[in-house]
Amino acid sequence: MDYYFHTERLSVGYQGKPLVKGIEIGLKKGEILTVIGPNGAGKSTLLKSIARQLKSVGGAIYLEQKDLADMSGTALSKRMAVVFTEKMQTELMTCEDVAATGRYPYTGRFGVLSKEDRDQVEEAMALVHVEQIKDQDFSRISDGQRQRVMLARAICQEPEVLVLDEPVSFLDIRHKLEFLSVLQELREKKQLTVIMSLHELELVKIVSDKILCLRGEYVERYGAPEEVFETDFIGRLYGIDRENFIKNEKLLAYARQIGQMPGTKLRT
Amino acid sequence: MEENRIKRQVSAFILLGMGVLVFVILNICIGSVKISLSEIRSALTGRGSEETMARIVWDIRLPRTAAVLVLGGALALSGYLLQTFFNNPIAGPFVLGISSGAKMVVALTMVFFMGRAVRVTQTGMIFAAFLGAVLSMGFVLVLSRRVNSMSMLVVSGVMIGYICSAVTELVVTFASDAQIVNLHNWSRGSFSGMTWENVRMIVVVVGAAFLLVFCLSKPLGAYRLGESYARSLGVNLRLLRVELVILSSILSACVVAFAGPISFVGIATPHLVKKLFGTAKPLSMIPACFLGGSLFCLFCDLLARTMLAPAELSISTVTAIFGAPVVLWIMTERKRERAG
Repeated sequence: MDYYFHTERLSVGYQGKPLVKGIEIGLKKGEILTVIGPNGAGKSTLLKSIARQLKSVGGAIYLEQKDLADMSGTALSKRMAVVFTEKMQTELMTCEDVAATGRYPYTGRFGVLSKEDRDQVEEAMALVHVEQIKDQDFSRISDGQRQRVMLARAICQEPEVLVLDEPVSFLDIRHKLEFLSVLQELREKKQLTVIMSLHELELVKIVSDKILCLRGEYVERYGAPEEVFETDFIGRLYGIDRENFIKNEKLLAYARQIGQMPGTKLRT
Repeated sequence: MEENRIKRQVSAFILLGMGVLVFVILNICIGSVKISLSEIRSALTGRGSEETMARIVWDIRLPRTAAVLVLGGALALSGYLLQTFFNNPIAGPFVLGISSGAKMVVALTMVFFMGRAVRVTQTGMIFAAFLGAVLSMGFVLVLSRRVNSMSMLVVSGVMIGYICSAVTELVVTFASDAQIVNLHNWSRGSFSGMTWENVRMIVVVVGAAFLLVFCLSKPLGAYRLGESYARSLGVNLRLLRVELVILSSILSACVVAFAGPISFVGIATPHLVKKLFGTAKPLSMIPACFLGGSLFCLFCDLLARTMLAPAELSISTVTAIFGAPVVLWIMTERKRERAG
């Protein structure tokens, strides 16, 4: 099958040592892929490798059948944008300034923004609903707003693929939902293909088209939500040990409940 | 909003430019011999002026002022590049030991060649200083790779600075040449004794470096959000790093070769300029830091020459008095912002 974005026997890791091996992802244009798995399973490593922040240890990543490794930095930057979790220290930058850095691949020798660039920035900020705070200092806004400005920045790059590392981890429930809703809106409007990692399993079930489960050195599972989630699965993926919950069955039940897809009955 | 920012930046540029102009004139007028504006004019046009006046203006005050103007700008620019590169608000050529490294190699070269009665050319001096600057920069880079923390970077820089200064002191003390007096003054930092020949060289080297830095303003702008985002925007980080290291070394090496190590201009000026401009955008910051550094050094050199006239203070004495409080202010401000 011809996928829009796919990987072949991709191995990712640091300094030539693979952390996760044999990753096979296949995505159609406009699909949302979510990567889940316990801490340290290599989610960020995978995302960084896809975004070419890290050299992959083996295998290849293809975007429309073209090997990502063969693309120039500028060519890739016009097709793929990223939102990372790392906290940034900006100096005297308004939210608009931050978003406008996404226009970098399109500006001239000295990076001066043209009228069209400015319009693009404005449109991107409107899309993620941060146009009211565009003149505020980026270091003084809330975490929720910050993530959305970073999303606007990514949209300014006019990407086809968006890579996000735990984009909602530090947000409260309202902002988590709002952020994910904006992402889905973008997928509708711009046919964006989204690759992200999430810890919020209930949300993973709702927003993902495909789910990649990482655990240890290999891919535990890859597929649509209904293929991936089943009652015992979450417990197995995250290594939740029954022994630790002998007097606390309620918490254990919670894990089983997450594993269940909406509409099916909990097997007991 | 955008218009307001442009207005603010334009007025800030005008302000800095006027400041530089005023201090250039003051620097030429004030000194052990007072020179009036009309006397300057006649000295410059060469009509109806006294020979001594013309000589003072042409041979002493003008070249010195020009050197201060360009080297001050070079220092501030080098500080700006280092702060951007290390993402550290208190980085600067002096704090990181780059000036001291350059000083050490220049002192060694001078003593070595003087002992053989060979005069070191200007180009030779710059090369020696550049070599020293790159050496210390290399050390700092290796250390900062090992321990990635803001304070560690500064501590290693200061230590390297001490080591290099100690070696320089040793060399200067043991070299028993009449010209050592010069070396001693120079090793403490001073703009005195600039010739037109020096100025020409300074303008060529600093001018070229400035243009190259200006061409880096776009990738530097992308670098403001950190390395990962810069890379994802297609910036060639490895190349940019090499360019930053080399250009900041050339700039500070040029200052050391001609005026010795000068403290605090590199750290303090970029912050003052950013506050004045209300932005840290490289495209405006590069020329603005240059002007700011010129202004700061013109002001400090004027004081160094006149405060205890006819004796002359070392330039670092003055720059430290005005620069150190700025650094302290930056640090407390940062802490407060993070707390708030």
